[in-house]
Amino acid sequence: MPRRKPGTLLPLELEILDAALSMRRSGRPAFHGFGLAQAMRDLRGSRSLTAHGTLYKALGRLEGLGLLASRWEDPAAAQGRPRRRLYELTPSGADAAARGRVGAPAALRPRVAPETA
Amino acid sequence: MTPERIAALVGRWVRRYTRGLPAEVAERRVEEIDADLADHIAHERAAGTGDRRIALGILSRMLRGLPADTAWRGGHLAASGGRPARAAVRVACAVACILLVPLVAMLVTDEVAWSPADFALAGALLMATGLALARALRRRGDIAYRSAAGLALAAVLLLVWLIGAVGVIGEDGDPADLMYAGVLAVGLAGAVLARLRPRGMARALIAMAVAQSVVTAIALIAGEHRTPTASVAEIVGLNGLFVALFLGSAALFGRAARPASGREEGRSE
Repeated sequence: MPRRKPGTLLPLELEILDAALSMRRSGRPAFHGFGLAQAMRDLRGSRSLTAHGTLYKALGRLEGLGLLASRWEDPAAAQGRPRRRLYELTPSGADAAARGRVGAPAALRPRVAPETA
Repeated sequence: MTPERIAALVGRWVRRYTRGLPAEVAERRVEEIDADLADHIAHERAAGTGDRRIALGILSRMLRGLPADTAWRGGHLAASGGRPARAAVRVACAVACILLVPLVAMLVTDEVAWSPADFALAGALLMATGLALARALRRRGDIAYRSAAGLALAAVLLLVWLIGAVGVIGEDGDPADLMYAGVLAVGLAGAVLARLRPRGMARALIAMAVAQSVVTAIALIAGEHRTPTASVAEIVGLNGLFVALFLGSAALFGRAARPASGREEGRSE
């Protein structure tokens, strides 16, 4: 995994934001982990889904950076299956996704994380 | 191989690597993966995918994510202070290695004769010093702070060992050595008041140096240098060594308290 420069998003994080933005544009602003993994697979034209550990670790980082917000779904909506954690782009997350197109040179990627002391 | 069996395997792995983490962190991860697995199986079955293929897909996702799972656990353990147990094990191993030296020496020469109480006291001293150092290192990443803490703890360890083993003033057991409890108390109180912050620690170490100097002056005024086992040079020299060590540590703590940019400017001048 590439080493993070302070204030810079990793390619996987940009890919997640990109997929989240695509889902929002298609009328699905809230998404869950497996749905996101599917969207990312479709966007990159791959056959495999992102690994569990990789995906949820990155989601946690993006939430920590304030680019995503999350909440548990209403138990009534779960209909017997395990309840999902639903994520949504925050305004700054949407802005970062719009500016940070996957595949863009590193210099053009958004620097959104706060500088560490 | 059914998807449910592989999902159960993934569930066991998730519960294993979330063990010992804060409950809300662990429960969230467990529930998210459980929901992901249920969604994965339901979606693939609805799409007509065979069970074997679904199971392999889930297994692949778990295996590819193992390094991230481990790193994620490590990050949360560090954030929740879960590392001290590992540090304590490392300190205990180091103490055991150090205590092997006198043990081996006792086997090859009669010059070294430690009693079980000696080993217990030395072990307790080394363990306490090592744990204090590990705690200091965990709090600050600055090399100046680490050096200052190491020097201060080494000086305290040496002082306590000298008092217990051979005596600093006069012979072993001289009541005058009890005055050094005041030096140690000053250091302990200073560290507590400073909450281990570098600027306060610098002041605490300066106070220890002053206390050590006062003890030296009292010993000389009381005529301890007139005993057969001590001289002015010995008392001043030995105590002067500790004053220098405490002041050296204070200087390093003072350096750690300065902003990094200020230190770089100081180097370039």
